[in-house]
Amino acid sequence: MKYLYTFYAEERVMESGSEEQMSDALARWSAFDREATDAGVMIACEPLQPSGTATTIHRDANGVRTTTDGPFAESKEQLAGFCLLDCKSDEDALEWASKIPIQLNAWIELRAVLDLSQYGYESATLTPAAA
Amino acid sequence: MKYMLTLFGPEGGMEDASPEEMKAEMDGWAAFSQETVDKGAFVAGEGLQPSSTATTVRIPGDGGERSVTDGPFAESKEQLGGFYLLECKDLDEALEWAKRIPLRAGAIEVRPVMVFDTP
Repeated sequence: MKYLYTFYAEERVMESGSEEQMSDALARWSAFDREATDAGVMIACEPLQPSGTATTIHRDANGVRTTTDGPFAESKEQLAGFCLLDCKSDEDALEWASKIPIQLNAWIELRAVLDLSQYGYESATLTPAAA
Repeated sequence: MKYMLTLFGPEGGMEDASPEEMKAEMDGWAAFSQETVDKGAFVAGEGLQPSSTATTVRIPGDGGERSVTDGPFAESKEQLGGFYLLECKDLDEALEWAKRIPLRAGAIEVRPVMVFDTP
């Protein structure tokens, strides 16, 4: 079962780190990446550029589309990155959440993906076993 | 450059859909996904289970213990419902894909991923 982990944090805090903190963080992330890859759970994991680089397309109930600069939610905490992991169970997924090496004031939301096979479809995302 | 397209919208709405309506909805998504695969843009993409199934882990910035709560990070009317991670040559291409995502109502946030120069 695939789980999406989305990370939310204050960008001000993320940008205030020293160079040393930054290189420590990168080392922790690459260790996490290696561990998840070796365990066969890693599908994708990406940090995102700051929310200032976001573009949002809104579509109202009548199908009218508008495009605006900026993120979907103008909140203090912004989506900062995500991981998509292939876990055995909810417990396993929570265990991996505890290993995600975020040290800042942040939140990780994790949620299982929809199982499309009940509708006769298949996800196009390659799992580690198939990749 | 990879772009993350996060899809937000009101939850539900398909509970009373007939099997035919459900199939039409799913076919639309499958066709879109297949086209991104065929054009070499697709990296990953998934719909998510409802936000009521979400678990949120709070990480205090002071190195304190993490706490776990049921429910999504934000209790808002529009929730994260899915995403596509697409390889595009630029933002314009990412926006072209985003405009064609068969989301009935809601919003799609498009953002480039961060690239680090690692040895």
